Amino acid sequence: MVRNRPAIPGISPDDDPATPFWRGLIVLRIVTWAFALGSIWLNAHTFAVAWAGWLVAGVMTVWTGVLTFFYVTPPGRLPQLVIADLVLNTVLMLSSVPIVGPAQLQGGAQTITTLWSAAVPVGGAIYGGRYWGLLFGGITAVANVLPRGYFNIYLAEDTVLLIGVSFVVGVATEATRNSADRVRQALRTEAATAERERLARSIHDGVLQVLARVRKRGLEVGGEAAEIAELAGEQEIALRSLIASGPLESTVDGDTDLRQWLQLMATPSISVAAPATPVLVPQVTAGELAAAVREALSNVDKHAGSAARAWVLLEDLGGEVVLSVRDDGVGIADGRLAAAEAEGHLGVSQSIRGRIADLGGTVELTTAPGEGTEWELHVPTGGSR
Amino acid sequence: MVVDDHPMWRAGVARDLQERGFEVVATASDAASAVRIAGTVRPDVVLMDLNLGAQTGVEATQQIIAARPETRVLVLSASGEQSDVLEAVKAGASGYLLKSASVEELVDAVNRTAEGAAVFTAGLAGLVLGEYRRMAAAPAGPEPAPELTDRETEVLRLVAKGMTSRQIATKLVISHRTVENHVQSTLRKLQLHNRVELARYAIEHGLDADQH
Repeated sequence: MVRNRPAIPGISPDDDPATPFWRGLIVLRIVTWAFALGSIWLNAHTFAVAWAGWLVAGVMTVWTGVLTFFYVTPPGRLPQLVIADLVLNTVLMLSSVPIVGPAQLQGGAQTITTLWSAAVPVGGAIYGGRYWGLLFGGITAVANVLPRGYFNIYLAEDTVLLIGVSFVVGVATEATRNSADRVRQALRTEAATAERERLARSIHDGVLQVLARVRKRGLEVGGEAAEIAELAGEQEIALRSLIASGPLESTVDGDTDLRQWLQLMATPSISVAAPATPVLVPQVTAGELAAAVREALSNVDKHAGSAARAWVLLEDLGGEVVLSVRDDGVGIADGRLAAAEAEGHLGVSQSIRGRIADLGGTVELTTAPGEGTEWELHVPTGGSR
Repeated sequence: MVVDDHPMWRAGVARDLQERGFEVVATASDAASAVRIAGTVRPDVVLMDLNLGAQTGVEATQQIIAARPETRVLVLSASGEQSDVLEAVKAGASGYLLKSASVEELVDAVNRTAEGAAVFTAGLAGLVLGEYRRMAAAPAGPEPAPELTDRETEVLRLVAKGMTSRQIATKLVISHRTVENHVQSTLRKLQLHNRVELARYAIEHGLDADQH
């Protein structure tokens, strides 16, 4: 057999979660077969065609053996067999008319297969779930009533039981399959998480230490080595943010930890300071704030001078988050920003203000020549903790 | 004394420090031996990595300082271990430096730690600030949570925004010494609160039975 699912420890992909149901079905079929045989032995002398009664007993015996053999293992639980079972059983039940005799049936005699027929809709329900159960139960119930030529309270009970039991067994089998799927899914996720942690640990213990060392020594040696050191340093920080933050997760109600978004921006020249506990904000707020910070930082990159460093500070005041972006670059001369705004060259400033205003927040910009620039963004987050 | 589980890093830091005139009295690769060795060699400053495997650097920091309170612990750690860094500082570490810091920054930090000053990066200031706010917002425990004065909050925020204590002193028109005192005081209050909480926990759970 082709294995199309990755193997998970503890669960083999070929395991049929409905196996206990199939085993139960085999037992039910053997018990009902014994019952049917007993019934034929006791009643054969009343049959219209007695030898045909024994022939049906032979067919039931062989068929019970065949199904038992196939149903024991998952590959044998074929739809062809389940359907053939239904067809054969229906034919045998209808054959009660010539074999047992119409008069005997009218007088209250059983169909020739008796209880043996009950195992058929149960098999259908186990194979295909609730709708197969309803269909198989319905057909068998009809085949149970037709040969007798009358309908009374006992036959009504048979009908309800055949259809009802098959339906319930179908529901139970579906539930079992679904929960087995969920367990598989959970195990798979767990395995993936464990693998991620293992990778993160080994990156942390190995690659990162080496990169940090390369950076340190390279800077000391200088020259070309310093360039390599610079690259190593950048990769070190990128890797660290990656293994520290993981995927951008969000809670059930759509809130996300703003820290994860900001920590990805840390570089050798950009420091990100945040609380040790998650700062939860709605996904949209996080996206806008992260975009605003990114714009402020790219402005630093463009205008503050090549040696400028930047600091991002995230504070959670409960009901309000405060984001500060400060750089130690050349700053903006007094009035230049105002002049630019007056002339309509708003650029970054307007974009950041627009984003924050949309969130219902406020923006403060402090700057002076030679003293760098500082953005302070206040944004309400609605809930207070 | 240098504690780190990575041999190459440990040797490299030890050599950097020796080249600049420090005496490296010992190195250790895990928390248990760090605590044992620190008890014997009595270092002035312990450079502590937080990621030590089974037992963390946080526990080692706590035990080293409990055994000999005058030991100064400087946490040298990778970024992305924020909550561990905060725990180590609450456990008594007097500073925190990123592993990506330059040798000059390291040397300066070790010197200042030896003098008893706090070594604050912007990142640590953000963590400490966040911790005070978390405690203020949380329901009151049996011990009143420590609070920052307005001036302390102001200083911490400026540190978190990357300003040096000299820049802060100029901006707030106070002395450089006063700035350092404010920073120290934010740490001391946090550590004191942590010790009181730990002691209370121990008493409530009968962990101090062997001391009676």
